[in-house]
Amino acid sequence: MKATDVALAIVDTYPTALCVSSLGTATSALRAASDDGPHFYLGAAMGSALATAMGVAEAVPGRLVVALLGDGELLMGASTLWSVSAYRPGNLVAVVLSDGGYNITGGQPLSAQPQFAAVAEALGGIAGARVQTEAALRTALRELGRPSLIEAELSERAWPGPSPFVDPARVQLAFAANAAGGTR
Amino acid sequence: MASSEESESPAAPAWQVVIADTLAARGVTVAAYVPDTRLQPILSRLADNGVCLRSLTREEECVGYAAGQRIAGQRPVVLMQSSGLGNALNAIGSLAVPYRLGLPLVVSMRGTLGEANPSQVPLGRATTSLLGTLGIQSFSVRSDAVAEQVTAGVTTLAFEAGECAAVILEPELGGGREGN
Repeated sequence: MKATDVALAIVDTYPTALCVSSLGTATSALRAASDDGPHFYLGAAMGSALATAMGVAEAVPGRLVVALLGDGELLMGASTLWSVSAYRPGNLVAVVLSDGGYNITGGQPLSAQPQFAAVAEALGGIAGARVQTEAALRTALRELGRPSLIEAELSERAWPGPSPFVDPARVQLAFAANAAGGTR
Repeated sequence: MASSEESESPAAPAWQVVIADTLAARGVTVAAYVPDTRLQPILSRLADNGVCLRSLTREEECVGYAAGQRIAGQRPVVLMQSSGLGNALNAIGSLAVPYRLGLPLVVSMRGTLGEANPSQVPLGRATTSLLGTLGIQSFSVRSDAVAEQVTAGVTTLAFEAGECAAVILEPELGGGREGN
């Protein structure tokens, strides 16, 4: 599974979900998979993407919100898992691109295997799953209770393509319009 | 038998009530914060006004959470102690500022006038400079008399001009852990 396969599975399964992507690979993959859809692409602020997605989820409880996160990203902001466990937004799904490395800075390895799904399960109130195939990912996206955390194990580190250096003004305007209109 | 006045708990200092009521009147819907003694009466009053409270794990997370609320059309406020500003700078400087997500900040000062803890001093001394370097204006509240004006002005900067701005709760207001 590549990062773009994960992002494609998300937008195929939930085409009207509001997505929030962390800097680097996640933003590039979501841009590629959604044809630059009206999602919230972070260009920096490493460690803040899950908190941002949780804020969106609680602001618009009628919409499904998907956070697409790098594993280094979530390691930096992991304490937000405790907040998700505390407040349990029922419309939030977090998907982690698990390749064990810091991709955008050159693929340096994480110092430890994060075990995010196991941690989420241990905290309580978050359904966790670790998946190795696209089919298993799509099943988890459809069937896990929420909030959920899915670790998608990547077998290939190919760079998704589009630049992760987004224009904040354009991103913000498109996302705000998306969040304000329509329902899931 | 105690009179009704004696049996009531002491009223919160006026500035804390005024700040909370002004935030609520300006449409604030949710408050993200890391707990602090001086902030607690503001938070209690916000809750009385129907504002949702979110106690989060660190100040950076508060800014990220508030950013999410803001991009989804809500009006959040972030409350923190000045010692937590260092934790929040990445999310402020790399998310709130470049995406122009006007967030009102309420910062309870430590490390300045009357501080007894040496470890609080460097960040307290640097708070308004750090904010200013990121282009964020800070406005001090030192008395009850200006609490409403400053709070209202900061919410206007945030929600209408789209600029982060900070209400600085100066030590002269009192209400701190050490009773100063």
